This record gives sequence, C-alpha cells and structure tokens, in this order.
Amino acid sequence: MNKRYRKVLQPRNIILDLHATDKPGVIAELVDHLVSTGDIAPQKRDEVLAAVLSREKRMSTGLQHGVAVPHGKTDAVSDLIAVLGRSRHGAEFASLDGRPAQIFVLILSPESMAGPHVEFLAEISRLLTRAEIRERLLAAESAEEILNLFDQSADR
Amino acid sequence: MIAAVTNGAVAGPFATGPPEVGRVMTEVALQLAVILIAARLGGFIAQSYFRAPSVLGELAAGMLFGPYALGGLPLPGWGPVFPLKGGPLPVSTELYGFAMLASIVLLFISGLETDPKTFLRYSVSGLAVGVGGIVTAFAIGDVAAVLLGIADSFLSPPALFLGTVATATSVGLTARLLSERRKMGSPEGVTILAAAVFDDVLGIVVLALVVAVTRAKGSQSTPADWKHIALIGAKALGFWILFTAVGLLLARRLTHLLKRLRSMTTIASICVGLALLVAGLSEMAGLAMIIGAYIVGLSLSQTDIAYELQERLRPLYDFLIPIFFCVMGMLVNFFAVKSVLLAAVFYGLAGIGAKIVGCGIPAWFTGFNLRGAVRIGTGMIPRAEVALIVAGIGLSSNIISPEVFGIAVSLTMLSTLLAPPLIVRAFQGGSGLRVAVEKRKEEEIRSVSLDLPSAELAEFLVSRINRAFRNEEYFVHRLHTDTPTWQIRKEDISFTIIQDDRRVILNMPARYQHIARFIVLEEILNLSEFLESVRKMQSPEDMGAQLLKGVFE
Repeated sequence: MNKRYRKVLQPRNIILDLHATDKPGVIAELVDHLVSTGDIAPQKRDEVLAAVLSREKRMSTGLQHGVAVPHGKTDAVSDLIAVLGRSRHGAEFASLDGRPAQIFVLILSPESMAGPHVEFLAEISRLLTRAEIRERLLAAESAEEILNLFDQSADR
Repeated sequence: MIAAVTNGAVAGPFATGPPEVGRVMTEVALQLAVILIAARLGGFIAQSYFRAPSVLGELAAGMLFGPYALGGLPLPGWGPVFPLKGGPLPVSTELYGFAMLASIVLLFISGLETDPKTFLRYSVSGLAVGVGGIVTAFAIGDVAAVLLGIADSFLSPPALFLGTVATATSVGLTARLLSERRKMGSPEGVTILAAAVFDDVLGIVVLALVVAVTRAKGSQSTPADWKHIALIGAKALGFWILFTAVGLLLARRLTHLLKRLRSMTTIASICVGLALLVAGLSEMAGLAMIIGAYIVGLSLSQTDIAYELQERLRPLYDFLIPIFFCVMGMLVNFFAVKSVLLAAVFYGLAGIGAKIVGCGIPAWFTGFNLRGAVRIGTGMIPRAEVALIVAGIGLSSNIISPEVFGIAVSLTMLSTLLAPPLIVRAFQGGSGLRVAVEKRKEEEIRSVSLDLPSAELAEFLVSRINRAFRNEEYFVHRLHTDTPTWQIRKEDISFTIIQDDRRVILNMPARYQHIARFIVLEEILNLSEFLESVRKMQSPEDMGAQLLKGVFE
C-alpha cells in the first residue's frame, strides 16, 4: 500500500476547482477530466459514467466531513486510475452527514482483473480522516501540495 | 516379458536396466505398499478400538511388519519383504530416504505453523516454561543415560543424544486435545503454545549443537576437547542464526516474487524445494537436515502465504507421516530392546517427569497455581516426531546402538500413551491462575457484527466476502474450528470472519479496519444487487415446468 496513491494519482489528475454543484455534475466533470488527460478513451466516457452512477445508485459514496469517493468497476479502464477534484463552494452529494462534499476522489478499476482496488479506496479515505489534513487540502495552492499532504497523513 | 520373468528378472520399466535396480525398486514398491496399508490400518485401529492417538498404531504397525518381525519372514518365490540390512539401519537406504523426506516436510510445516506473535505475547511465561522444560529434560535424559550404564560420561555422544531426544515436545497432540475441549484459548493453553515455540526453536538449536559436536568427536567417547567443541558449537549456532536471519529478511521479498507465478501449487512446490535445499546445506555444514527445513518454514511463517502453503502441503503431509512413523517403528530391534526393557521404561518415565517438573515450576513462578502448573507440565509431555528423528539420526550415524534407539523410542511410545489421559484429567476443575492476572495489553481490535435474515444467506455472504478479499490479493484460510472461521491475511494485515448461524462477525485491527469495512460494504452492495436480480428471475414455476417437461414421456 506504501504510497500507491503517488503512482495512481498523478498531479495532472488533480483538479483544484470543480465547477459542478450537484452529484451527476461532479461525477461527469471528473470523468470528462480523465477523458481530456487521455486516461479514458472518448468513446468509453459514457460506459465509465454509467458504472460510477450505477454504484452511486446503490448507496451514495458521500462519506462525512465533505469527503466523497465515487468509484466504479469497468473494463473501459485497464488499470486502477484515480482523479481528485476539489470544490471551493461544495456540492450536494447525499453524504452520510448530510453536508455538501468538497473533496472528491473518483476511482476506477477494471472489472475483470483482480487487484487491491477497494483497498486503495479505503486507504485514500483513511488519509482524509484527519480534519487538519482536510482543511489544509482545501487551502492548498497546487496539486503537488495536495500530494505532499497525503504523504504527511500516510507517514503519521 | 514372460521370458524376463522366467529368467528371474523383473519386468516393467526396469526390465532393460540392470536386474538389481529392478529388484531394488520392486522391493521398495512392495515395502511402501505394506507400510501405507499397515500404517493406516494401525492408526485406524489405535484410534477406534483403543482410543489412542493414531501415531501409536503407526509405530506398532512398523514394529509388527518390520524386518525384526513379520517383515523378516521369507515369502515364497521372493524372500522377505523387509530383509534385514547390515549396517546401522535395518531397513534399506531407499526406504529410509522416504522417512527422511517425511521428516523434512514435517519440520518444514512445523516451522510454517510457528506463530511468533503468540510467542511474543506470552513470551515471559512461555520462555520460562520452554527453557525450563528443555533444560530439565536434557539434563535428566543425559543423567539417565549415565545412570543406566548406556554412557560413561555426561558428554559422551549417547548421553548427549538421549538428552536431546528427551527435549523436543511435539505439541500437536496437546493442541488437538485442548481444542476438542475448547481450552486452547485458556491461559494454560496459550502458554503451552508459546512455550512450544521456544521449545521447538531451542530444541533444534540443541540438536544442531549435539549433532555437530558428536559428529566431530566420532562415536567414541574420547575425552572432551573443549576448544574444539566450542568451535563446532559456535559454527552450528552461527549457521542457525545466519540462515534464520537471512530467511526472515528475505522471506517477504521472496514471496512477493513468487506470487508473480500466480499458481499456489507452483509456489508451494518451490517452497518445498527451498526447504530441501537449505536442508541439504545444513547437512553439508555438519548439522541435521531437519534444521534447515525448519528454518525455511519459520522464515515463511511470517508471510501472507503461510496458511495457503500449509493447506497445500497437507495432503503431502498426510501421505508421508504414516510412512515416517511406520519406518521408525521398523527400526526397533526387539531382541536388542528386550535386554534393556527396564531401562527403556525408566528413561520413558524420567522423560515424562522431566517435562512436568521442568515446565511446571517456571509456570508456577509466572502466575499459575499448582493446578495450572500441572496442566502446563502435562501439556508439554508428548514427544513424537522430533524425538524419533533425533534418535534416527543417532542410529543412522552409528552414534547410538540399536538398544539405545529402542530406549529412545520408548519415550515417544510412553509419552504418547500416557499424555492424553493425564492432560484430560489435569484440565478438569477451576482456574489455573494464582491471582486474576490483569488482562494483557493487546492490539486494539474492532469488531462489527452483521445480522442476516438466514444462516444460508450469511454463509453466502461470507463466501462472497472471502472471494472479494481474494480479489484484493488477500489470502483467505479456513480455520479448523467448530464455528466456521476464516483468517484473512496480507503482509502485516490480518482479519478474521466468523459465521455464527445467521450472524457474520468481522474482527479487525483498528489500524486497518477501514480496509475491511470498505471491502465488506462493497460486497454487501453487490449482494443486494444480486438479490434484486434474483427477484427478476423467470418465475420458479415456469423453470420447474421446463425442467420436468419430458421426464414422464
């Protein structure tokens, strides 16, 4: 698990300002970002979106304290990929605590290939459990600064 | 082929080779046939008719069908199935090779099953009990050899061997008896397990030292050259420490590499290969082969594939173990033992007493009352495979005589015979603790319990959860307990899942609970989707009609 997020979460996959204000909008914005960086083929965009929304339908991935981890399994990706989005104003995400979410980590993993995918999801969530880390993440100025925060949380 | 048979040669794949090879291989095949059948039946009879451990039946089968008894009688047209061989061993080298292979696999698995965590948690009482038992048993075994006139000094090879034979407890029998009575988790049970770990490790170190020293001295009891002995002892200890350290350091990296091979069968075979390799190296270094095998097992015990390996090796173990005990029984020369029968009984009882006293006293000093101390002492009585392996090494390297071998085997037989009733009796009654010892500090464990509508659904969910963990590259291992329990491991992480009727209980260390929680949550969501799809299934009546259509034409 040792800092696997460093490999999966590239600085280009960190969005400092999301524009969307609701759940479908945020998820679409995150997926579109992955299409724009070339992580997802354009023709696979809808398939990926459907996988994430279908998981969201079963139970919202909005956790507490403004953190949400939408995810999905789809063979549109061949390896674990992730994108982190930050929203300054927050978005309604049907979270456990009812508050709008501000930090979103979208994680996609191939359906037909086994691997420590849910473990990665759990690990990312754990890194965001400290209030101090979350606050500093919301104030961070760059992608690298955010990754450094993860490092600090992981080293603790 | 008919011509070959009439010529006295043996037909088959060896017909073209030299006739001796064919003859020898046929002999081995017949011997293994007799051993497998006799050992299994012997074990069955011991268990079902005498309520004794199967080991006793296997040993007795070996004695009955060995070269000194029925096996030595000639069969018409062939000769004896187990002809008495000259030299230190009464059986053929080929057959003894199977017993050696069995002992290597046995000690490899024994190393794999070692749980240093238990042993660290109960390290104080475990260390005291383990060391107390080893020292006392070695001293009493060694002194008994001199008192019985088998050896002329405490440092002569036969005395050192009888001391070593008496040291190694085989805790398997105790563990089985205690887990049947649900006493394995009691303070006494855990202390016995922890002590057994120290006992194993120290017993192997003692064996390494004794084998190295006696081999250097030869079978003659020459006056001890202390400098020389110390040098050899240091070499043995050095090998042990070096290989254990290297093993523990490299094990994880090695398993990480091996996991790329994907197939657990391939990985298990390679690990057995490594055990044999280090076994060979340790023999070349002047130690016993089992020491190397044990070191490899111990190194791998801390990796996440340990349970999976144990599971894969189980059939090999089940196949080889009766052969091992049966061949050991065959080595017993009744004619030689007859003259030392009293000595054998004396040595056996001394060996049993040594563990009760040697383990009981340290137990008493580490918080147990007399009842607890006796429980721990009796729990440490059983001596089995390691004692026999040590005796076998002594016999095959001509260090001990057939008489002394018989005496050594008597300890295994007597302790296996007497330990079960003693243990069962000792564990009746109340607490074995002197005062309520404060609960030991353990890693914080979080527990989540999920109630499902039925036991069937709980079972189904557990199987899905286990599969999900496997998909996340965890190793899932079913424990042999009454309530279905699974251990799930990856590197340092270890969870347990228990299915108690319609309840699923998840135990997880606080540090890693988020992983288990997320994986189980995803699986529960998958399950609900799955059940949704079941609801949409074609009506059962239609399916039933389709299935039955045409049956009664």
